[in-house]
Amino acid sequence: MASAFELTRNMTIGQYIPTDSAVHRFDPRFKLVAFGVLVLAIAFCNTYVGNLFALAFCLALFPLIRIPVGYGVSGIKPAVPFIIIIALLQFFFSGSIAPGGTLHFEYGVIRITGDSIRLVIVSAMRFVEVIFLSSVLTFSTSTTDLTRGMECLLSPLEKVKFPVHAFALVLTIAIRFVPTFAMEMEKLMKAQASRGAEFGSGEWWRIIRRTKDMFPLIIPLFNLALTRAEDLILAMESRGYVPGEERSVYTRYRSKGADWGLLGISLALAAVILWLP
Amino acid sequence: MNNRLTVRKIVIAGVLGAISILLGVTRLGFIPVPTAAGNATIMHIPAVIGGILEGWGVGLVIGLIFGVSSFLNATVPLFKDPLVAIIPRLFIGVAAYFTYVGLKRFNQLLAVGLAGFIGSLTNTVLVLLVAVLRGYLSSGVALTIAVTNGIPEAVVSVIVTVAVVGVWKRIGSGRQTSKVSRGVEGEKLDHRRAGD
Amino acid sequence: MREPFLTIRNLSHTYMKGTPLEHVALREVSLEAGRGECLAIIGHTGSGKSTLIQHLNGLLLPQSGEVTVDGLHLSGPKPDVKALRRKVGLVFQNPEDQIFEKLVGDDVAYGPFKMGYPLQEVRERVRWAMELVGISFDEYKDRPTFALSGGQKRKVALAGVLALKPDLLVLDEPTAGLDPYSRNELLNRIRELNRKEKMTVLFVTHNMEEVATLADRVCVMAEGRVAAEGTPREIFGDTRLLAEHQLGPPEAVEILHALHRRGHPVNPGAYLTEEAAGEILSLIRERE
Repeated sequence: MASAFELTRNMTIGQYIPTDSAVHRFDPRFKLVAFGVLVLAIAFCNTYVGNLFALAFCLALFPLIRIPVGYGVSGIKPAVPFIIIIALLQFFFSGSIAPGGTLHFEYGVIRITGDSIRLVIVSAMRFVEVIFLSSVLTFSTSTTDLTRGMECLLSPLEKVKFPVHAFALVLTIAIRFVPTFAMEMEKLMKAQASRGAEFGSGEWWRIIRRTKDMFPLIIPLFNLALTRAEDLILAMESRGYVPGEERSVYTRYRSKGADWGLLGISLALAAVILWLP
Repeated sequence: MNNRLTVRKIVIAGVLGAISILLGVTRLGFIPVPTAAGNATIMHIPAVIGGILEGWGVGLVIGLIFGVSSFLNATVPLFKDPLVAIIPRLFIGVAAYFTYVGLKRFNQLLAVGLAGFIGSLTNTVLVLLVAVLRGYLSSGVALTIAVTNGIPEAVVSVIVTVAVVGVWKRIGSGRQTSKVSRGVEGEKLDHRRAGD
Repeated sequence: MREPFLTIRNLSHTYMKGTPLEHVALREVSLEAGRGECLAIIGHTGSGKSTLIQHLNGLLLPQSGEVTVDGLHLSGPKPDVKALRRKVGLVFQNPEDQIFEKLVGDDVAYGPFKMGYPLQEVRERVRWAMELVGISFDEYKDRPTFALSGGQKRKVALAGVLALKPDLLVLDEPTAGLDPYSRNELLNRIRELNRKEKMTVLFVTHNMEEVATLADRVCVMAEGRVAAEGTPREIFGDTRLLAEHQLGPPEAVEILHALHRRGHPVNPGAYLTEEAAGEILSLIRERE
């Protein structure tokens, strides 16, 4: 109850924590590529050993970026119930999708095969690994660096007239405003609760009523966002911002030997994950 | 509405994208109404609103942001597949835009409401279609979800879209007196109804 | 001392306990407010003011320490938050952001309807609250909310909280961002609530003129602690305290302090503008 309204302070995913480790100082472009390589490798890894290796490696990354392992691991807490429910469902019903291996049990639609057991365990592990990897990336890279890195990586697309810079700007604005809106939302929830609001009361079948119960939050939130947008548009236009124009940048990324090293290591790890039996 | 890139489009897409992300990461994007999933999501509504306000390009980009954030936050393996999580979402705002533009000469409010309905259905139908094609669900299950989840969600989407766009664009909805100024007949209403 | 309406004992609060982002917002805060009193809380951003006031209507529950409002204890295992919210009205910063209904009357009526009052009662409460903040009920109840000016919107939002008829009204920087006219107008309304309607008022502010004109007592917060407490006269009279916490006193007080430093026989505790003027006048008369 005490923390029911504390949105901003309980959001751990996407939180940048400046501990200034070696990982923090890598070129964001290389971090993004390395992240992509590892996520792909995990996505294609179907073996127990490979996933165990990947899991151990992901856990080892937390000390490397100077974040307590316990804090990093706590990022999966909200996902745990879902992982369990989905795993159970898959365990009983995915026999038809993965019919290979020995058949252990069959009753009506419930079919448990050797392959389906492995599918359940492996997909849960993969899921946890990807969450850990994303946490490591966001803990160690500021959102500015992430979007700038993304923009650089996408820049070849400018050749086919894709507005890379505009797209990166949209992303920057979106990411920049999430914490602001989270704070506004928290304030709104508290303010409306102070004048007696209860969210999601009433009989369960009254869809319209239950939706309208959310109006004290949703409508001011959208209004605030669109008002902020108008302010920002005015500010950008009055500073002479023209979309699609050539512009100079303040920071240029220059790859160092260490960055190539990071890429090499991630490729090697990906290879190991995929080659393990 | 032409599709030239303007500061306005960039900023509105960014701001509504932020709301889409926020609704996803805080679980506020779910309204507890009866569906197969136990609640209806409103995370796709920023894409619908973006499409209505600023055109299909903006709707598409917000849909992309929604898709990527639902991919990154997924707690269900179904949405850890980028094909399911991202591709269908691109069309939410696009469908909403074309519905709105096609109907707005008849009635603004009706056009907005139907855009909310079609945008939401686009989300449900395309996600389920891709899920069936990718082998996550059987077509029977998908159809059941489409009816039990898709319809209430579309209703919620209409209500929210009309309310938000109506307030922002100042489109009146008829009632011009507040509940407290209603006379005797209002008093006969029990207070629960009046509180609706 | 008046009968205490609000009692806070050794209240501490830490955000995100046990994470690298841990932040202590309140340390062993103790505070009291008597019934009908007007208490000001001043202090810099991050001094714990906002965290403190959120404990007053159960938005935050005490991690350690006690909060008691009009006999209701908030430290037990299951405090009656709903009853508490009827007693305590909390007005956040920029409360106009929370207006969501299309029509003024509907927005003010939201709280009373949620509390389950019948229409007749709701209408009377809305009328009372709107007239109290200086907005004519008959003229404004059917007006669209978006057509109001900034100052009017804030009054409507305030009326939305007042319609619950709280015994304790808590305001977080009530006049921030208002033009000077609306600011004075709002301050007068708050004073009336306190003096005429006998509402206990607690408000957070950065503005020392507001403290001077409104407050019976002042509480200075710094780094999550109560750094000082007293009447405006005591606080504004204490040069060392003001300097230590970088609080700019009202201009009148500053002038008196400057005169005092130069050896003129004035009383720097005369913080009200009229009083200060009197001090200066008597000084001038003495010299003549």
